[in-house]
Amino acid sequence: MNVVVMGVGFCGSFPMSGGVSYRELIARAASMAYADAGIEAWELDGAVSCEEDFVSGYAIADEYVPDQLGVQRKSVYTVPGDFLQGLGSAVMQIQTGQYKMLVVEAYSKASNILSKEEVLRFAFDPIWNRLGVSPKYLAGLEMQQFLAGSGYSEEDVAQIVAMNKERAIGNPLAPFANHLAPSDVLSARPIADPVTEPMVARPADAAIAVVVAAEDVALPKARKPVFISGTGWASGNSVVERRDLAISEATEIAAEMAYKEAGITDPSEELDGVYVSDLFAHRQLMHLDAMRYIDDSFNTVNPDGGSLAMGDLFEANGGARFYDAVQQLRGEAGAHQIKNPKRIGVQAWRGLPTDTCAVVVVDAERRTV
Amino acid sequence: MTSKHMGNRVAVIGAGMTRFVRRAQETPGELAAAAVQMALDDAGLTMDDIDSVCLGTAPDAFDGIHMNSENLIAGCGATRKPYLRHYVGGGTGIMSPIHGWMHVASGKFKNCLVVTEEKMSPCSPHPAGAFLSIFDHTTEQPLELTLIHIFSIEMCRFMAKYGYSEEEIAQVSVLCKKNALNHPAAQIAKEITVKDVMDSPVLSWPVKRLDISPTSDAACAIVLSNEHIARTHCKAPVFIDGVGFRLDTAYWNTRDLAFPNYVAMAAADAYRMAGITKPGEEIDVWEPYDPFDYKALHHMNALLQDKSGRQTRELLNSGQFARNGTHPMCPSGGALGVGNPIAATGLMKIAELYFQLSGQAGERQVSKNAHRGIAQAWGDLMQVGTVVVMGSEGAMPNRNTRWTKMKTEDLAGTPLKDASDVRHVEDRPDFRYAWDNGFALTTYLDGLKAGKIRASHCAHCGRMMIPARAFCEVCNLREVTDYYDMPDTGTVKTFTLSNIHWDSSFLPDGKVNIFAVIEIDGAGEDMGLIHKLGEVDPKDVKVDMKVKAVWKPEAERTGNILDCMYFRPMKAGEDKDLKPVRVKPTELDVASGKAFPGKIPLFYRYTAGLAGEKFYGDLAKGKLSGTRCEETGEVYLPPTTFAEDSMARMDPQKDAVEVDSANGMVIGYTAVYEDRSGHPLDEPRVIVQVAYPGTVGSVIGTLDVASPEEAEIGMAVKLVPAGETGPDNVKFKPIK
Repeated sequence: MNVVVMGVGFCGSFPMSGGVSYRELIARAASMAYADAGIEAWELDGAVSCEEDFVSGYAIADEYVPDQLGVQRKSVYTVPGDFLQGLGSAVMQIQTGQYKMLVVEAYSKASNILSKEEVLRFAFDPIWNRLGVSPKYLAGLEMQQFLAGSGYSEEDVAQIVAMNKERAIGNPLAPFANHLAPSDVLSARPIADPVTEPMVARPADAAIAVVVAAEDVALPKARKPVFISGTGWASGNSVVERRDLAISEATEIAAEMAYKEAGITDPSEELDGVYVSDLFAHRQLMHLDAMRYIDDSFNTVNPDGGSLAMGDLFEANGGARFYDAVQQLRGEAGAHQIKNPKRIGVQAWRGLPTDTCAVVVVDAERRTV
Repeated sequence: MTSKHMGNRVAVIGAGMTRFVRRAQETPGELAAAAVQMALDDAGLTMDDIDSVCLGTAPDAFDGIHMNSENLIAGCGATRKPYLRHYVGGGTGIMSPIHGWMHVASGKFKNCLVVTEEKMSPCSPHPAGAFLSIFDHTTEQPLELTLIHIFSIEMCRFMAKYGYSEEEIAQVSVLCKKNALNHPAAQIAKEITVKDVMDSPVLSWPVKRLDISPTSDAACAIVLSNEHIARTHCKAPVFIDGVGFRLDTAYWNTRDLAFPNYVAMAAADAYRMAGITKPGEEIDVWEPYDPFDYKALHHMNALLQDKSGRQTRELLNSGQFARNGTHPMCPSGGALGVGNPIAATGLMKIAELYFQLSGQAGERQVSKNAHRGIAQAWGDLMQVGTVVVMGSEGAMPNRNTRWTKMKTEDLAGTPLKDASDVRHVEDRPDFRYAWDNGFALTTYLDGLKAGKIRASHCAHCGRMMIPARAFCEVCNLREVTDYYDMPDTGTVKTFTLSNIHWDSSFLPDGKVNIFAVIEIDGAGEDMGLIHKLGEVDPKDVKVDMKVKAVWKPEAERTGNILDCMYFRPMKAGEDKDLKPVRVKPTELDVASGKAFPGKIPLFYRYTAGLAGEKFYGDLAKGKLSGTRCEETGEVYLPPTTFAEDSMARMDPQKDAVEVDSANGMVIGYTAVYEDRSGHPLDEPRVIVQVAYPGTVGSVIGTLDVASPEEAEIGMAVKLVPAGETGPDNVKFKPIK
């Protein structure tokens, strides 16, 4: 069964969003998605929300999902994971044949967390991996082993930072876009060698809402539908001591799963662009390798500037990339529009301390595999 | 919901669980792995057959691990697999098979390993403390409520509406604890009487100690397969015939708590899929969620689709909920008897239906010839219902399986009296927040500062909403522009007389906190707020009594729900001119637009687990050992109770292989310049990943060097002995 993106809504990114509560932020994105989809909230069968308790500050964040989406008493649940994982779950749910139309939502109010590093540290295993230093030590170990294993240099990683920030200057939603020289990235304050401060995406606030539906329901209503032709997700070992830190095995598995569904055998040839997580700059290169996507110019990689320009949106990271991918496929991305894309791959990573990733392939036109 | 008929049929073909205990020595991952291993054995499958995994676990605040699903990947058998977590608070355990069903029914996967885990015991001072932050952080948390308070409030409303006595309700606790005597995993099975329940300490009237299920540690897993595989591998597969889940508004003070509409709607969805039109006649086994005794009855009303409540009460009082009755209810022993490790409880109920409907329940087998069963869970802020209807071709007679003869000692899970009885790690996280109030709540909180209860009015549906909101959640998120100061008077809809704090500790002798849900005058039926009552003798508090707010002096008010100290009984003549008055909402600017501060005041005591016990025990002696996997011959480092790929069982003690702790080699290092909270360190600290010849894995710790420049790949290092438990005590020294 084909599942179609009927509408998308995005509110953000902002370094801070004082004056707008998390409910108001999400409602804004939801209203936009519903208008784009040509529906009202009551027409939805339910919602999938992507959020984590300690990020929201609630012990049970799922409680506070339905109202700002207008879906109370509908079939609503939380997938504590990246937006793309929630999207994958929603696609499966529709493919059971029992549900027709769902909204998938994720948000970040990172500015409301006053002890973000503590929250990140708390994701590490208390018996084996919670050290008395910044939890970003794992990014340091990972980047070092990735560079050693892949042949990339620290300069290559610095180049990614500069490029992503630079290209997003034309993206009005990117608060951290700017001119930055790779040499400045390398000489910046170290966090955990070889990771320096500009290589780490800065936290930001935003909300994303996307309406997906079975094709028969979506096509008569949607203004400019986009087709989901493959979804995949996977997790690498949670035992860090036995994980190969030089690669993203989870991305490899998730990508192959999505490619297989979409009928893709040569992603560099068949995809017109990709989005990959750059929460740490070295991860962009690691993820591209795992996606088997080669574009030496990088022009078709993270055209929105990625998380380095748009900010670390926590569970909404994949959502921000997905939003831009839909805009690109519709030819509505504005100044950072890439040339006539027909098919795009979007990847997300859950951040430290994980190697959990998801990949989605989206098409501008309907394809039958 | 669109179709009456399920597409791809999905069946349960195996189940596994640990013991349910108050405090387990095993880590969350070790518990999960034990349940997974047993479920795979039961299904006759290996990890190679499993093409997807999903996890249900309730608040991360219990296990004490942010992004808990990521930490549980290995324990769930999800390494290098498609793996998703689902989450609906207390309703998670029944959402688990629903999510697993989606995996297989969509046609995307053939088998889904469904795992649930809850380790509540690390959460301190008491697991109940985790519930402090389930309430709205801005409008409710300052009242220091906990889950028992709202259960009590709901039970009071249920009793007031349906006329139950406390003694009638206590029969459920008696039944469940007795049923659990035959359950091998049971934590608090016991033969008790109604009098025992009535005589147990009152925690928050009407809730008494024996009305409540315990906090527990446990894991449970099932294997779901498509029909082809199920018929091939399983003599008596039990199919998921219908599923339903519904989530109501978080504004829980806007609805009558007497009847859970969301559970009834979820059940109706499941019945529609299963083709059930008369649930009271067509369902043979009932496993409603029973975290409190009244909840089983509250849920039975919804599952029977009977708002009158008559059927449930008649069945209860005529003894028909017993295993030999017409409507056997909680034959497992339920949460009240087996225990309540939230998500694992729900899946335990699904496992019970699998046992009952396939004839594997042994001494617990119901007298009826069981073809159809229903399991249900409930949670979030009294707002979610999750329901699964299961069916079989009848319970096969005279079955002799691992489950018909399962004994407690066959199940994993090591009970402890206290975490300090074993090696453990303590952690005091610093969780601080400040939540942007936004437009509507700024106006609401400014109202409180002015001694007013402020609402917003939706011009479309006509509701006067408390607290004020910027959009209407029932009118397609339509903007709300009219704000009103409401009368500070109202009617008590339900209440509790509480003897406990938010962390379950008792209030000083003689002190009682009275919490009530108050319908505010002029706001419409059921629209109100929760607050304390004062200036009233607890025994004089009644449902439907009229009350009026008592405010702090103006100079002491800060824009907080505590600006209203409490509500007191209304006096004669105070019920005049009770009309809303339209007001100008607050104009937002950087001075008026504030953020409301909050924190999570919990700390954690983690047991090191079976593997950690071995590792840190060795470390104290300057030793190091790995665990040998019998299947592959590989030695895992650090020690483990299972191999992540095959889930093969390993024993960190019996399968230990000594490794030369002085023969380490640095395979990765990083100089870290910030402390755990992100503040710059005076001197960088070098973290290393160290491998040992002949082992799979590594050890991560601190390298003791004067300067980061000394660290290098390939460097020879030795482990430094340390008596304390915890990763900060793992240190290496270079070998010259």
